[in-house]
Amino acid sequence: MKRPRLNLREAPLPGGQPLAFAIGLTIALFVGTLLLLGAGHDPVRIYSRMFEASLGGPDAWAVTLNRAVPLGLAGLAVAIAGSMGLWNIGAEGQIMAGAIAASWVARIGGDWPGLVLIVVMLLAALGGGGLLAVGPAIARARLGVNEIITTLMLNEVAIRLVQWLIHGPWKDPGAHNFPLAPMLPDQARLPTLFSRAHYGLLIAAAVILISSLAVRYTAWGYELRIAGSSEATARYSGISLSRKILTVLVISGGIAGLAGGVELTGTADRLTESISNGFGFAGIIVAALALMRPSGVAVVALLFGAVQIGGQSIQTLGVSSSVSTILQAFVLFGAIGAGVFSRYRILLEGEAPAVPEKVNQ
Amino acid sequence: MTQTSSPTDESQLAVQLSEVWKTFPGVVANAGVELSVRPRTIHALLGENGAGKSTLMNILAGVYRPDRGELKLHGRAHQFRNPADALSAGIGMVHQEFRLIPSFSVAENVVLGSAPSVIKTRQIEAEVAAMADKFGLRVDPAQPLWQLSMGERQKVEILKVLWRDAQVLILDEPTTVLTPGEVDELGEILRRMADDGRCIIFISHKLHEVSEICDEATVLRQGKTVASSLDMATTDSTELARLMVGASPTSPNRPAAATLGVPLLELKELSARGDRGIDAFSDISFQIHSGEIVGIAGVAGNGQRELADVIAGLRPSTRGSLIMNDADMTTASPRQRFLSGLGYIPEDRLGVGLAPRLSITDNAILRVYRQQRRGPFIVAAKALSYCKDIVERFRVRAGDLGGPIAALSGGNLQRLLVGRELDSQPSVVLAAQPTRGLDVQGVKAIQDLLLERRNAGAAVLMISEDLDELLTLTDRLLVMEGGTIRGEFNPRTTSRQEVGLAMLADTKAVSRP
Ligand SMILES: Nc1ncnc2c1ncn2[C@@H]1O[C@H](COP(=O)(O)OP(=O)(O)OP(=O)(O)O)[C@@H](O)[C@H]1O
Ligand SMILES: [Mg+2]
Repeated sequence: MKRPRLNLREAPLPGGQPLAFAIGLTIALFVGTLLLLGAGHDPVRIYSRMFEASLGGPDAWAVTLNRAVPLGLAGLAVAIAGSMGLWNIGAEGQIMAGAIAASWVARIGGDWPGLVLIVVMLLAALGGGGLLAVGPAIARARLGVNEIITTLMLNEVAIRLVQWLIHGPWKDPGAHNFPLAPMLPDQARLPTLFSRAHYGLLIAAAVILISSLAVRYTAWGYELRIAGSSEATARYSGISLSRKILTVLVISGGIAGLAGGVELTGTADRLTESISNGFGFAGIIVAALALMRPSGVAVVALLFGAVQIGGQSIQTLGVSSSVSTILQAFVLFGAIGAGVFSRYRILLEGEAPAVPEKVNQ
Repeated sequence: MTQTSSPTDESQLAVQLSEVWKTFPGVVANAGVELSVRPRTIHALLGENGAGKSTLMNILAGVYRPDRGELKLHGRAHQFRNPADALSAGIGMVHQEFRLIPSFSVAENVVLGSAPSVIKTRQIEAEVAAMADKFGLRVDPAQPLWQLSMGERQKVEILKVLWRDAQVLILDEPTTVLTPGEVDELGEILRRMADDGRCIIFISHKLHEVSEICDEATVLRQGKTVASSLDMATTDSTELARLMVGASPTSPNRPAAATLGVPLLELKELSARGDRGIDAFSDISFQIHSGEIVGIAGVAGNGQRELADVIAGLRPSTRGSLIMNDADMTTASPRQRFLSGLGYIPEDRLGVGLAPRLSITDNAILRVYRQQRRGPFIVAAKALSYCKDIVERFRVRAGDLGGPIAALSGGNLQRLLVGRELDSQPSVVLAAQPTRGLDVQGVKAIQDLLLERRNAGAAVLMISEDLDELLTLTDRLLVMEGGTIRGEFNPRTTSRQEVGLAMLADTKAVSRP
């Protein structure tokens, strides 16, 4: 069998991560160049625009960071469930549920002081997202119903709910019969840190940091990792699997919901159908590229955000959205994929591995 | 050591390994090993847990690449890049964990991967049967694998390497899954293969087997050869044991009986189903008192595994009740049982007892992490020092304690697991195959620990396939066969034969699911 295989390195390559990142990025940009040339564009112009728009100065950074916030939170939501071997495919819907809950608070608390209003909105968002995950969580924990399907189906429910709200009960009478929810009151907007970068950045950073520490260093996270490594071992040691599944999925939903709340108070004017903007699905990619490790999510989300913003900006230069999307995928997988692969050796022609692929006695 | 056999012409050696080095992160597994094996012989490779036996054999079989060292077959140098290379040079290895496909037939498993693209079932079955006959490997080629006992599965593994025409056969701890009868049979099979011109490298921790089966022995200690090609006809087991551990371990004496106390574990007409929904055992009743070790003997697959699962709370019972420390635990969770004093050493170490993807430290603290909390956190320093303590006290040979548990050798995994379970001073100890795969010292250490628990007033239930161990260690011996208790024996007055007969009450043992 002379097929190349991957084999985990005995020790990480010294300086491997940054090096791999650079190499991966170079390869991706090179392949992207061919793609752009093939589509009849000037690669230098396109690339410099991408860079300008995403990382070329404080304003660009602000836009990128604002994008990284929901991506990071959604990625975290997926990764937390993933570190226990669960798949939350419903972050998209949970983001909407969070945004709905936050909007509802803004409707009833329009005259509250800003800080109180925002805090309550975000807590409600957390609850809203968590609430949407309760059903799948119970079904999985008590009856063993696969959470992938249930969380996915609830995405549909959430989007219908948003549609019904903005076409019906929450329709803004002042919007001349357009199906729009009313604008948020001014004091419900997150303040900005610099340029347009809002405080959501700090919220997301804090939540990611706390979650990483929790998974790595707390008893709760330890139980999570045991359960993720081997269900039989978890049962043997008396960790209640069903309770763990329940809490983890609800927390995962809550974090996704928080992403919706932050997005609403941070960048949106009002509740819309596109409030989740695909962040929930992108979060799955973010989590996968971070190898389901909460601590890896922040970096991946930042890069993902930059690539998205850069990729969208070049559409104004006449690059079609499909070419732009392919280019985004190249850069993302080139840069991050290389980092992942740098932990492995590629064995050609069936070389003997340094570390066995299977443990034997 | 001067016990090296008379110098042989290099080209006459079937296998010659010299100056073999292999390092894993934090551990030197092989540090300049020498091994010479003559054709037509059965050669034992001996050494303590972690001595580097499996590593050396994996190098010979092309699974690992050595850092340094030379490998010659019949005087010709070779460098293997993968197991297929080694196999085409005539080297086949039977790993301790079988790699067979349960839903395939015996013949299909044997030819898998080396069969012509169109499989003519009848013809292949006939060929496999002919080969099996030649070496006395009694298996039915048409039988699906899942119906076979562990002993029979091993024969399939051996057939598999023979089918690929291996001239050098490596068997890594082949007897740990066999009954005494099957061990004798294996010895005969191996002898026939040696007489046929092959050579066999045989790893085992049981010295009496080695004396009976093997012609020569090489002993490793801490990655180095301490004696090579000893002639087994002139070397006794005490000498081998001394070479392996550097000092002769005292032979296990029958421990004096402790004073019996109140019953701590009681099973009343307990029944449960196996994985396939059929009753695995039914109406089992017995009591174990404080200060008593009770053994359960039996051929694997007669309900012992399921019984252990039920007592540990990992499998529901269908009838009957279970009392532990005066409390009804029939439906209690595994954790409730642990809290009321149960320590459990499961048979499946990496599947049940340990979490293979986590670190050594994470695995060591599995029972105590709740006590190592400060607020929501597990105090890393406490966890590490606890792990260090277990590793030192139970002599686990480990490199980096933050590294993955799966890198430990088989015996070291077991030491860590037993150490962790007994450290909490359980009043009821359930030990399933606790000394399987351990070296002489390891066996003694773990037996001593179990005795110590008994003398401290615990009730110990020990399930084992090693009859000698049960006969020397237990105060009472139950024999399980076909899902029921076939008899109770006093090991002080019973002979091996009597127990053996009860184990095979129905001449054909029920095969393991
Ligand atoms: N893949 C690996 N990664 C890291 N360390 C390893 C690996 N394989 C083996 N080791 C270490 O190398 C040493 C020798 O291990 P090996 O499996 O060869 O021992 P062994 O003699 O077969 O022991 P046992 O009788 O317990 O099976 C041990 O300390 C073990 O922890
Ligand atoms: Mg071994």
